Amino acid sequence: MGLDLRSLADEDVMQLVRRGDARAFEVIYERHSGAAFSLAYRMMGSRSGAEDVTQDAFLSMWRSGARYDRARGSVRTWVLGIVHHRAIDALRRATVHDRRRAGDDGIEERFEARERTDVEAARREEAGTVRGALSSLPADQSQVIELAYFGGFTHTEIAEMLDAPVGTVKGRMRLGLKKMRAQLGEGQVAV
Amino acid sequence: MNDHARWEDFAGAYVLGAMATDEREAFEAHLATCETCREEVDELRPAAQALPMASPSLQPPAALKDRIMVEVEREAALLASTGAGADRPAPARRERRSWLSGWRLAPVAAALLVAGVLAGALLTAPDSTTYPFDRAGAELEVDGDKATLVAERLPPPPEDRVYEVWVMPKGSDTPQPTDVLFTPRGDGSAEAAIPGSVDDIQQVLVTDEPREGSDEPTGELLMAADLS
Repeated sequence: MGLDLRSLADEDVMQLVRRGDARAFEVIYERHSGAAFSLAYRMMGSRSGAEDVTQDAFLSMWRSGARYDRARGSVRTWVLGIVHHRAIDALRRATVHDRRRAGDDGIEERFEARERTDVEAARREEAGTVRGALSSLPADQSQVIELAYFGGFTHTEIAEMLDAPVGTVKGRMRLGLKKMRAQLGEGQVAV
Repeated sequence: MNDHARWEDFAGAYVLGAMATDEREAFEAHLATCETCREEVDELRPAAQALPMASPSLQPPAALKDRIMVEVEREAALLASTGAGADRPAPARRERRSWLSGWRLAPVAAALLVAGVLAGALLTAPDSTTYPFDRAGAELEVDGDKATLVAERLPPPPEDRVYEVWVMPKGSDTPQPTDVLFTPRGDGSAEAAIPGSVDDIQQVLVTDEPREGSDEPTGELLMAADLS
């Protein structure tokens, strides 16, 4: 009714979502579903798995909009956090057999999904920065970070897969993230 | 002073989501008391939160948006009709369900707490007990005094109807309504948290009901689980 939702900032649109405004929710979906689906696809390794996770995540956001707290970060970070959590749930619900298979030989294949579409230049640049930071890490650090974050494996599972002590795996995660954080710098990447 | 020595190298695994549920909860309890770990988590978290940007960018299919928005619009209409919005008073017809009030999560969730919302709690519940429903592939997982319905291969409810969860209090033979209404996912799977404490109930039942839910069962009994 005259209010142009698309001109509002995410945080203001969320105020309307919280009151059960479906049009406002649609705006949030349009703005963030690409990033959400991309993350889900990278983690699940299949289109149908990614669709299930994205759907679950957005419906849970719709139903729990009141839990978004702007003091704790952007709407995008909130959205991606929920997608990540949902995808981990889905991966861990998979049977032990499936997970072992993924751990043995499925991972590389799953990480190679490429299907680029156009996104705005700023995000592309940010993506380049993050990829750069990740690829500049020693391989043993980027490996555990990717297995954990995108593979949904726990540190103990990763230790088992790599035949490495659990403490070593946790140490690599910490060190790698610390270096990434330093490279990303303050404010260079909006997270 | 606290158990920092046990947790001092967990911050990276934590922000990456690389901890099992019980371990994560224990670490979060530690975080509440340990400033050192909190600072490290705050330092590492932005790096983990930037990781999604390293994924190749994909466009979700249009049909996905359609599926999500159909559900959102259905629930928005339901919210509008029951007046469960944040700025509106609680609807009179639900007020007698006062035992549910402490459980309500959020205005939207209040009307419908549906499949999958609490899936995260299901992953690894080491001390949980399960009680089967009288239907294959469906069970009630009880952890402490909280129960969650976990089902596979459920049929979709009849057209224009949803499944409603009922609880039978101990010593009663009248099922009490809950605010839990759900529709299984496309593959027939569903999860739903049972409100209240299972210590007070003897049975959980599921029937199909009109979309706004019923105060007394009107549809077919889909399944029931005995907690004793």
